[in-house]
Amino acid sequence: MSDTGAVLATERLSVRYGSRAALLDVSLRVPPGSVFVLLGRNGAGKSSLVRCALGLQRPDSGRAVLFGADVWRTRAKALARVGVVPEEPDAPPDMTARELASFCRRLYATWDDAGVAARLRRFDIPDDVPFGRLSKGQKGAVMLALCLAPRPELLVLDDPTLGLDAVARRALYDELIGDLADRGTTVFLTTHDLDGVERLATHVAILKDARLVLDEEMEAMKARFRRIRCARPAPGDRAAWTPFVTVSERSREWGLEAVVSNFEEGAFAAFVAQAGLRDVEVGTLSLEEVFVSVAGEGGGVS
Amino acid sequence: MSAAITVDPRDAVPIWRQIEEGMRRLVAVGALAPAAPVPSVRDLARDLGVNPMTVSKAYQRLADTGVLEVRRGEGTFVAGTPPKVGPVERARSMKDAAVRYAGVAMGLGAAEDDATAAVKDAWAALTKRPRGEKR
Repeated sequence: MSDTGAVLATERLSVRYGSRAALLDVSLRVPPGSVFVLLGRNGAGKSSLVRCALGLQRPDSGRAVLFGADVWRTRAKALARVGVVPEEPDAPPDMTARELASFCRRLYATWDDAGVAARLRRFDIPDDVPFGRLSKGQKGAVMLALCLAPRPELLVLDDPTLGLDAVARRALYDELIGDLADRGTTVFLTTHDLDGVERLATHVAILKDARLVLDEEMEAMKARFRRIRCARPAPGDRAAWTPFVTVSERSREWGLEAVVSNFEEGAFAAFVAQAGLRDVEVGTLSLEEVFVSVAGEGGGVS
Repeated sequence: MSAAITVDPRDAVPIWRQIEEGMRRLVAVGALAPAAPVPSVRDLARDLGVNPMTVSKAYQRLADTGVLEVRRGEGTFVAGTPPKVGPVERARSMKDAAVRYAGVAMGLGAAEDDATAAVKDAWAALTKRPRGEKR
């Protein structure tokens, strides 16, 4: 399988810890200019995938490809083009943001001084407070400002909004949007803030029990998932949703509710008429609702 | 001006199309005058909290159909003479939308009078000059 063109790709990536599999045969592609969001419940394998993608962990089989080359072998070179905002922002606690910036700039060939200053100003980071005494949101903002300074081609964010309040979250997304518009930076992120990334992401992937169960463009995903509610069919009748693939199905007091993953308007109208369904209501799903039905208990492979 | 466009990620209509339709509406009702500048892709993306590529896709389609005009190095503007929608196309699109709306209203058990009154209200709200209001 060739991944020319992808900024980051995994090819049949598998990671095992003893008898437990953290990742099984995961293949995905992050196209240039995309905002790719990787979702999964805790323990689904997100962190292992991010570590492999950054060459910090060697997979048991398969490989991660960064800018077209096996990242495990070209890590140093490839990582110079990547900015990473870790889940737990970490830096020497005694240094101020400005001191950190002048320290970091010596490590990189390109460094956007004006950009760092402007971002620290926009984020309202005080000049005289050492990193260790900044709030969680401010620490994350400093990390983002430092990460964007070398003008990375790929930005990797591991749950960047964890523990941030609404204002700090908005500032972070605004900053990302600005960078996307100015430079078309590719963004790969994991998050629990599904509401926040719903408008921003162009691609979505979902890991469940170490396997990739969904990987596609946001728009295509939103077009095919629907929640369908209808009155309970007469006793004896069971609801057969063919030709639709049900991701989840439950019986409610007022009738039946199902989430289907291959909705299509024309086919559905024909199906409703033929099956004689009554009181039919069709609704779209938010990213969070898709995630819950696909990755939650009882959710299956789509 | 961007304050008058809103997007709803829960809508079945893709976000880029919501932006495209919103912009068309602002031009059609004169809230955006011919040859007036429109927000940059970056500013509108930021205001709406959406990916700039999404805004860019909407602008591209609006430029392709002659609603907007991209002047290299200057920015994006409403076309000097915005295209007119033909009567056949208009009738077809209106009928489609009306059938959808009538279906929803009926499903909610609304009376015909209430349904048409709601359209009048919506019309009035949309044609009001958007001034300083934040979305």
